[in-house]
Amino acid sequence: MTEPVAIGGPEGPLPGRTAPVVPAEPPRPRHNAGWHRLHPLSPLVRAGRRVMSLLAVLVGVAVLNQRQVGDLVGDLVVVAIALAGGFVSWLVTRWQIADGVLHVDTGLLRRDSRRFPLAQVQAVDVVQSGLARLLGLAELQLRVAGGDSARGGRLACLRLADAEQLRRQLLTLNIGPASGPSAPAAAMTISRQSLPDLAGQPARMLFRVRTPRLPVAILLTSAGATALVVVAGAWLSAQFIGPVGAIAPFLPVVAGVAAKLWRQFNGEYGTTVVAARDGIRLRSGLIETTAETIRPGRIQAVRLAEPLVWRAFGWCRLEIDVAGARQRGENRSEGQQLRAVIPVGTRAEADLLLGELMASPPLPAMPAPLRAWWKAPLSYHFLSWSTDDRYVVAARGRVCRKTTWVPLAKVQSVRWVQGPLQRRLGLATVHVDVAGRRVSAKIENRDSVEALQIVRSLPDLARAARSLDGQNPSTLTLPT
Amino acid sequence: MTDPGGAVGSPLAGPGPGEPEVRWLRPSPLLLRARRIEVAAVTVPAAIIGGLAGQFASATAGIVIGVALVLAGLVAERILARRVASWGYAERNDDLMVRRGVLIRRLSVIPYGRMQFIDVTAGPLERSLGLATLRMHTAAAASDARIPGLDAAAAAALRDQLAALGEAQAAGL
Repeated sequence: MTEPVAIGGPEGPLPGRTAPVVPAEPPRPRHNAGWHRLHPLSPLVRAGRRVMSLLAVLVGVAVLNQRQVGDLVGDLVVVAIALAGGFVSWLVTRWQIADGVLHVDTGLLRRDSRRFPLAQVQAVDVVQSGLARLLGLAELQLRVAGGDSARGGRLACLRLADAEQLRRQLLTLNIGPASGPSAPAAAMTISRQSLPDLAGQPARMLFRVRTPRLPVAILLTSAGATALVVVAGAWLSAQFIGPVGAIAPFLPVVAGVAAKLWRQFNGEYGTTVVAARDGIRLRSGLIETTAETIRPGRIQAVRLAEPLVWRAFGWCRLEIDVAGARQRGENRSEGQQLRAVIPVGTRAEADLLLGELMASPPLPAMPAPLRAWWKAPLSYHFLSWSTDDRYVVAARGRVCRKTTWVPLAKVQSVRWVQGPLQRRLGLATVHVDVAGRRVSAKIENRDSVEALQIVRSLPDLARAARSLDGQNPSTLTLPT
Repeated sequence: MTDPGGAVGSPLAGPGPGEPEVRWLRPSPLLLRARRIEVAAVTVPAAIIGGLAGQFASATAGIVIGVALVLAGLVAERILARRVASWGYAERNDDLMVRRGVLIRRLSVIPYGRMQFIDVTAGPLERSLGLATLRMHTAAAASDARIPGLDAAAAAALRDQLAALGEAQAAGL
């Protein structure tokens, strides 16, 4: 027996809950005004890697077996069917923007009609895979909060220029205070004509990653250390056992590590951060490029990571978290990774960007009590926290120092947790949960009385911060 | 409305972190009965089967196994009883507090305005005892707040009350 009760506010709860699949709508006339199709080449791009590799394998097998052309035709039919499926899906997919809502209809047998209220869009990405770049296409992804609604928020693919324009248009439509109950209503009433063209807005460059530094930095993290160990292991066993048989068992591991390093390098290559009128714009990627726009006030958490070796160089990594999962071609570990605004940069660059993302963020100033050493000897030296009227900040980590800022206005819940050892020592940990993917600022190992005080006061501070934000919603300083 | 800077009082009094001015409400006493039935449903068949299987070795082995399993069930019952006793919830002006746990103690504070939706579920056993579990969901996956073993009518009333409070205080993400 299940009786879910949705809480509807003026702004409504999660868009994932309010904008669900609306099933079985009577089909409208095909060429209705306002409905658009995706680009005709999109099935090719969407099938992309899968069809290409299938094709390669089939051709390879055919060549190896020296088979007749007739057999090859049979294989090609398989590929053609796969492509035809994509074509049909293209044929029945259409989209339009009306009244501040993006409609996407798709599905041949099961009609699937989705609505995305633009006021609830957390971020808009333009993603180009390698193939899409060759063809001049791009995929538009809308990030909305809520787990599986993420799947539908994509338009794949459009012409790059169209995607860029649509991105601007979507962000224009939902500009306005990001929080506060009256925001969507105000945003909806803005008509398209009355808005200034935002294309010509001056944009300020905030950060550009230094290309030579990136591969070095990636190799100096724990992933790089893993790679080093694997290579060393392979080399050693090759020395002692003999080349061929010794290296073979390492190959899958090597491939896995290499793929991980490559993915990070590919994803973070050429990262640039620009402050624009419609939010922070992030661009990155070597082969598959991603252009992301994060609206002001949508940032759920900011994390500064300083791995051990990086600290010697004064480098750090700055990541942000917004609500809503990224989707495409993403496995679990990637999904848990945050978006790096600064893949690697100096502390000065990070400070500049931090100041841009948050209005005067506090620094973790209150260290944990001395007896916390018994609970966390390896991370004790980093444990500290602080708060002001807008942000909570907590630092922790054993080898890699992680400092997490959470806007108080985004706090979803606060938890006080005390394990058996902590109880002996009179300590407790406070978790500050936000709607991001996995970041929760953990104020670890405080005195348990102090922790209780934090738990009691944070909700009130958060409430105060929310009303503060309602009056003055610019958590992100924008160029005027 | 509690004063944020106010005195904490004796925070570690009672089975969980408590606050003097907060009135903690507890799940129905029937929850303990439900847990006992669950333990018995596992222990009794396990003891019988284990005892009978032990008979193949020797009569004493069978008895020892059977008694050991019954004792394990009794220990589990004691642990569950303490866990049941640790549950508590308190409605404050702007948020709901839920506490639980014996070994690892937890206290969650969920502002009404942050609740996305509320679930009331009841399994077959809970239903036969007239109980229900209330679950509150926020946009953060990590914040889990549930209250088991509420009287079904009380759970429905609490659900409606929380939903109304949530509606009144709803805030955007």
